[in-house]
Amino acid sequence: MEILSARRRKAFAVGGLMLAVAICTMVLSLNTGTIWLSPITIVQTLFGFGDADAAMVLFDYRLPRILVCALAGIGLAVSGSILQGISRNSLADPGILGLHAGASCGLIVFITFFRSLEDPLALFIPLFTFAGGTIAALLIFLLAYNRQTGLQPVRMILVGIAVTAGFSAISLFFSLRLDEDTYSFTSRWLVGSVWGRDWENVYALFPWVTIFTCYSLWRARILDAFSLGDERAIGIGVALQRERLWLLLSAVALSSASVAMVGGVGFIGLVAPHLAKRLVGSTAKYQIPVAALIGLIILAAADMIGRTLFLPNSIPAGVIVAAVGAPYFLFLLVKAKS
Amino acid sequence: MRKFKPTVLTIITALLFSLLAGCSSSTKTPTTAQATGGAHTEKAEKIASLSIHLTNDLLALGITPVGSVIGGKAKDFLAHVADRLHNTKKLGVAADPDMEALLALKPDMILVDEEFAGQDLDKYNKIAPTHMFSLDEGTWRDHLRALGQMLNREQQAESFIQEYEAQAERVKSLIKEKTGATTAMAIRVSAKELRVQGMKRPLGPLLFEDLELQPANGVEKIQKAYEVISQEVLADYDPDLIFVIVNVEEDAKKVFEQLQVNPLWLGLRAVKENHVYVINEQPWLDYSALGSKMALDEAEKLFAK
Repeated sequence: MEILSARRRKAFAVGGLMLAVAICTMVLSLNTGTIWLSPITIVQTLFGFGDADAAMVLFDYRLPRILVCALAGIGLAVSGSILQGISRNSLADPGILGLHAGASCGLIVFITFFRSLEDPLALFIPLFTFAGGTIAALLIFLLAYNRQTGLQPVRMILVGIAVTAGFSAISLFFSLRLDEDTYSFTSRWLVGSVWGRDWENVYALFPWVTIFTCYSLWRARILDAFSLGDERAIGIGVALQRERLWLLLSAVALSSASVAMVGGVGFIGLVAPHLAKRLVGSTAKYQIPVAALIGLIILAAADMIGRTLFLPNSIPAGVIVAAVGAPYFLFLLVKAKS
Repeated sequence: MRKFKPTVLTIITALLFSLLAGCSSSTKTPTTAQATGGAHTEKAEKIASLSIHLTNDLLALGITPVGSVIGGKAKDFLAHVADRLHNTKKLGVAADPDMEALLALKPDMILVDEEFAGQDLDKYNKIAPTHMFSLDEGTWRDHLRALGQMLNREQQAESFIQEYEAQAERVKSLIKEKTGATTAMAIRVSAKELRVQGMKRPLGPLLFEDLELQPANGVEKIQKAYEVISQEVLADYDPDLIFVIVNVEEDAKKVFEQLQVNPLWLGLRAVKENHVYVINEQPWLDYSALGSKMALDEAEKLFAK
């Protein structure tokens, strides 16, 4: 009991700290842009006392984009936490498992075959990425599923790598046939450029992220049970395969919805759960919220840096995340070896 | 556990719809506050242009915009007009303009291209009265005249067009004298592919309407900006005159060097008769008043005796 409450205290302390950092990041992000607004102006405007221009900058340009980043960061981090939990593999990540590749392929197929319909992009990109992500997940599930042993974690990762390769090949094949302008939009999207920056994108993303994050928290005990190994988990009464399928689908939903708005941002799903585990341990109940906050901080900060550091040319947030995330990934690998 | 199944499925379905519904509402009203120009004349001091081509139409009228988008590929103002835009604020690329920089300029008027800005018209109108042009409708002359009317520069627009037509006549006879060519085509070499420029903007109207060259056999079927072809079919076009645009990248130059020693290329009539002219991406692909004019300036030098 003593140990448990100590862990609990630590989790709340870390969670509070992360929440503070997250709020600071978002306020700082609200503060950066081409137009300089003093913090006082921002506070005034947020409470409705600013001038019209400041209100337009904050409410029309900056706030929705920051919220999309925040939600997508949470979505990717929670998706990664779930995947790492159900696969018992700390290197699992929606990008590595092939969900992003599936979603990207969905986008390329849309751009290649349906662009001429002149329909609004916002309407169709999420649909096609979700379809792509789901197909990837189903493929992984079907190929990694074995009637005797069920869904094996190691197989899942290996199949994921193959699925990624397959989808990437299809994406590459189609993208080579795109014209220059379309290709440059697509390639920016693929590396993770926050294009969803209106309130509609926030409204569209919000229910997905909240509902599936809550679902994963509700199933936190099941996720913990997975870490015991399949047999023991069954032994303590977990309907293993069914739980795993639903959690996998939640992870797909979280990552596809996020990816639809911010593009193929990798590494957050890997790094955020990892850092969270180091900070508060592997109990899912504590790990998931902390991972979500870390994901939010990473993506909001990366987008802020990407759109301000190299003006007038902004660089995609995904590039910044990868620049920091890839070395961390290697660090983990080296550390695991030694 | 069993009863969760339908619940979760319902939630997923409901969410899918909410995502769709949420997104669709974003674009429900493609406002058609399209200004075809002429209806009213305004005296606008500070104009922001969200199209590199409209920027160059403005320059042709002697107006320097306070802000303009930059070329998507060059990531800067187009090289051939950069020296005229020293005091112009860069507003990002047309596909993703910097709204805050635009707002900070406090322009009196915003010019946008329907292709890029059609869906965001409301946002621009909140900043300043916005005029939308469809660059695919009419020629740059129509765009220039519309701008001239809007900005009380009708006279400049007319005289620019007259000068242009006179220059086009001169270039036409220069080409005739130097090459005797009647049919022509333009190709563009990049590291990735070979394109034949079609009948539509940027290059078609200049070559086949203004300079009255005959499109080479098959080019008249390309009713768009360009078509990607393979080197083998070059011989099917077999024009008297070939314009070649080599992209600025090193890889593109290598591809063109290889093409030049290819027997297929050496067998072309225009190559044998030495009627191949290498032209630059800019100004030739800048479909605007100023871009077309500067392309003619280059042509005058190319075909000088």
